[in-house]
Amino acid sequence: MAAEPVKRITDIGPPNFEKFLHPVIKKNYGLWKYHDNLAPGVLCHVAESGDKIFTVRAASPRLLSTTTIRQFADLAEKYCGGYLRFTSRNNVEFLLDNQANIEPLKKELLALGFPVGGTNNAISNIVHTQGWVHCHSSATDASGIVKSVMDALCDRFTHEDLPAKLRIALACCLNMCGAVHCSDIAILGVHRKPPKIKHDILPKVCEVPTLIASCPTGAIRPATVDGKQSVEVVEEQCMFCANCYTVCPAMPLNDPENDGISIWVGGKVSNARSAPKFSKLAIPFIPNEPPRWPGVVDAVVNIVEVYAKNAKKFERMGEWIERIGWPKFFELTGIPFTKYHIDDFRLAGTTYARSTHIRF
Amino acid sequence: MADEKVQTKLLDELEKGPWPSFVKEIKKARKVSPVCDDLLGQLELSYEEKVGHWKHGGIVGVMGYGGGVIGRYSDLPEKFPNVAHFHTMRINQPSGWFYTSNALRTLCDIWDRHGSGLTNMHGSTGDIVFLGTKTDELEPCFKELTEAGFDLGGSGSCMRTPSACVGKARCEWACYDTMKMCNDITHQYQDELHRPPFPYKFKFKFSGCPNDCVASIARADLSVIGTWKDDIQQNDAEVAAYAAKGLDVQDDVCGRCPTKCMKWDGKKLTINNRECVRCMHCINAMPKALAPGKERGATLLIGAKAPIVQGALLSSVLVPFVPADELMDTIKELISRVWDFWDEYGKNRERVGELIQRVGMGNFLDAIGLDPVPEMITAPRDNPYIYFKDEA
Amino acid sequence: MAVTTEQLAEEMYQMVKETMGKKNLKAGDLTKAMIAKYGEGEINKDDCKHAIRILMDSGRCVYSYFGGSFITLPHKEGSAPE
Ligand code: HEM
Ligand code: HEM
Ligand code: SF4
Ligand code: SF4
Ligand code: SF4
Ligand code: SF4
Repeated sequence: MAAEPVKRITDIGPPNFEKFLHPVIKKNYGLWKYHDNLAPGVLCHVAESGDKIFTVRAASPRLLSTTTIRQFADLAEKYCGGYLRFTSRNNVEFLLDNQANIEPLKKELLALGFPVGGTNNAISNIVHTQGWVHCHSSATDASGIVKSVMDALCDRFTHEDLPAKLRIALACCLNMCGAVHCSDIAILGVHRKPPKIKHDILPKVCEVPTLIASCPTGAIRPATVDGKQSVEVVEEQCMFCANCYTVCPAMPLNDPENDGISIWVGGKVSNARSAPKFSKLAIPFIPNEPPRWPGVVDAVVNIVEVYAKNAKKFERMGEWIERIGWPKFFELTGIPFTKYHIDDFRLAGTTYARSTHIRF
Repeated sequence: MADEKVQTKLLDELEKGPWPSFVKEIKKARKVSPVCDDLLGQLELSYEEKVGHWKHGGIVGVMGYGGGVIGRYSDLPEKFPNVAHFHTMRINQPSGWFYTSNALRTLCDIWDRHGSGLTNMHGSTGDIVFLGTKTDELEPCFKELTEAGFDLGGSGSCMRTPSACVGKARCEWACYDTMKMCNDITHQYQDELHRPPFPYKFKFKFSGCPNDCVASIARADLSVIGTWKDDIQQNDAEVAAYAAKGLDVQDDVCGRCPTKCMKWDGKKLTINNRECVRCMHCINAMPKALAPGKERGATLLIGAKAPIVQGALLSSVLVPFVPADELMDTIKELISRVWDFWDEYGKNRERVGELIQRVGMGNFLDAIGLDPVPEMITAPRDNPYIYFKDEA
Repeated sequence: MAVTTEQLAEEMYQMVKETMGKKNLKAGDLTKAMIAKYGEGEINKDDCKHAIRILMDSGRCVYSYFGGSFITLPHKEGSAPE
């Protein structure tokens, strides 16, 4: 079935960014001197030449209709010559050379329902993934939880009054497309039951050796079921990671009553002050409660508020917890400490207390 | 069914509140494409049943490419026929996610003709995500995209779409040109991006300074993070101005310096730059007074990944400092040796970081021809189980 | 070069056909097999890369994804076959 030789354009790569740069940015590229934070969501970068570029940052739900993107384009044309960008946390940023346009732009954004903020010591948008909107692997939804949590924290987006930056991320399964493992607060979908093996289709849809090799704990073994080649799972060895499901559709883990959410805290990416670190387990399980996820919302708001009240200026969540110690964190937040908080996977000992340094 | 107005009692709850609503977005896109009705219907059902209704990906794409499209199928195709196929297209974003309104309108026009009218701006790797189309639309959509100057991003066991912080475009701290580097690397490795050649995925992320705004140390197999070698640039008058405006230079700047290498006598700030670890804290606290030095470049780190398969890793130092003007050549040279080694020894679904853990950093360094240096570790080993080799 | 790139592509195609249903092959597996067959001095990775591109562009094989990217024969569109 050789295809007819049509002339196709391939491998052109992304368009060169230079043609999308605001003239002031192009002129002062690499020549910025300092920046000021004029208001929450409004930045002013000043170049060596004295030129200024103003940035207005607004929230977006990440899942955007083309209708809304065109609205952003309209606003960009009206106020800033059509120049805009998106941030690594899914906010939209308008780039202005005329300071007088900031207020009218903000007004229109607010009227359209897009809060302005997310800069400096505000909570920025939640980095998140697909959930029930578009993924087969999800232990929970993504967009609905983000919406519910940010509704409750919206004032923290539009004000910059936290001790330091606070980054929240959500991933709907352990694949962690949103790479949540280094966030101040991570919301992570988890399964709690081993895969339910579909023996009837397994030999047709999966390659058994690849499937067995996929399991990090070696829990999957070959087995013959009803005379057919299949596999079995040693349930005590299963940690519900869904690696097997990724390579084999006949191993689904989805389970409405046992799937849910775990909360992790104290990770960071930036090298500022302390080294980057992983987030650590705060709450092992909260059930899925659509449509508004009250359990998750309350848990996150509680952690944010306790942090806001107790951390010192410039202390990220993880730095604050290291200063006061984990026992105090659990005490202040009222989160119960359980056996699940103690690591028992490989090299687990690295998180055991191996000194008498205890705060009383 | 499709022609009846879908009931979305639960999802309607997510239209309330101050934060922008994705449910409103899906409803807006109904005007573009009727498939959004079925998407809403299926999502409402997920909300009722607390379980997703999508099936595994499988095999779709544009001709010749091994990535850029993620197959997605409903597990209730009779009930929701319009989302029976609902594939994602990943489109390689311009560096730094900069656009003109015209470029955005072009993308919207193409997507309205060929898909659901729903997008993610952007996916977590950085691509523009076009969410939801049928197999027949992939090739025509791709054709229009390439004619408009856009190409697909990566998926599968390939070099994934690289991404970069705004860097020199709008940040005074960028120690090298992140956006250009990202653009050049992406163009250099188009084949590796589009035709999966590796044991698993490989990510590059470019941050201009140790603040690491694209989280490269947590997410990239090769993390390129800007830094400097000489002294922090210091403007004493501006330091005094911060102090006068009420910044507690002693507690909030010097007191938070991780190496305690700064002194403030109430009038003058002194930095022992040989002990500074270039963490950015003092610069973040006083952007008008302090700036990274002038001898700029980047640290190369290797091996970060999320937990799947063997556990999460942060990148670790591979080359402590590369001057900015040598960065491109050094990365190209190094990466070809890293990829060769990984091709040869990596197992299916083994990221580079996991391979290094398995074979040992020492052996990995030997294989790619790098000398060990103490900047690579926080401390030498504390166990005596050393695999001594015969040194000829 | 002892073989043309087109020949390499055809041999890769035969290899995929023979192993279909038994083992899924990756680009790296095909490359290694060809280099083993013809010897390092005769062909190199780049030749194999070109051969794979010919193989794909001709539609004889397609890429597929099962938790990793593999090269397979084209088959009926649908989710993972059920
Ligand atoms: C000139 C100053 C800075 C500029 C222009 C800048 C720029 C940015 C931008 C545009 C983003 C995406 C933001 C968003 O979507 O909300 C971002 C994210 C981020 N920034 Fe900065 N930033 C600056 C300072 C800092 C500082 C002082 C820190 C840390 C102390 C920092 C750490 C981060 C981190 C960790 C992220 C999030 C990355 C992610 O998880 O995706 N940045 N930065
Ligand atoms: C073994 C690990 C992983 C597997 C099996 C996996 C699988 C998937 C799947 C099935 C989807 C499709 C969702 C849809 O239908 O749209 C997806 C989306 C995505 N994944 Fe992953 N993923 C993994 C890890 C990651 C990581 C670590 C990242 C990034 C740091 C990432 C980035 C993305 C992006 C950007 C998307 C597109 C949409 C989004 O942003 O949510 N993935 N992934
Ligand atoms: S995190 Fe898991 S469920 Fe969520 S989009 Fe990624 S693979 Fe799918
Ligand atoms: S869920 Fe994870 S641990 Fe359990 S059987 Fe599957 S791969 Fe193994
Ligand atoms: S990583 Fe550094 S250089 Fe890049 S945008 Fe962030 S603060 Fe600026
Ligand atoms: S950059 Fe960090 S380590 Fe260096 S002087 Fe400033 S606070 Fe101290």
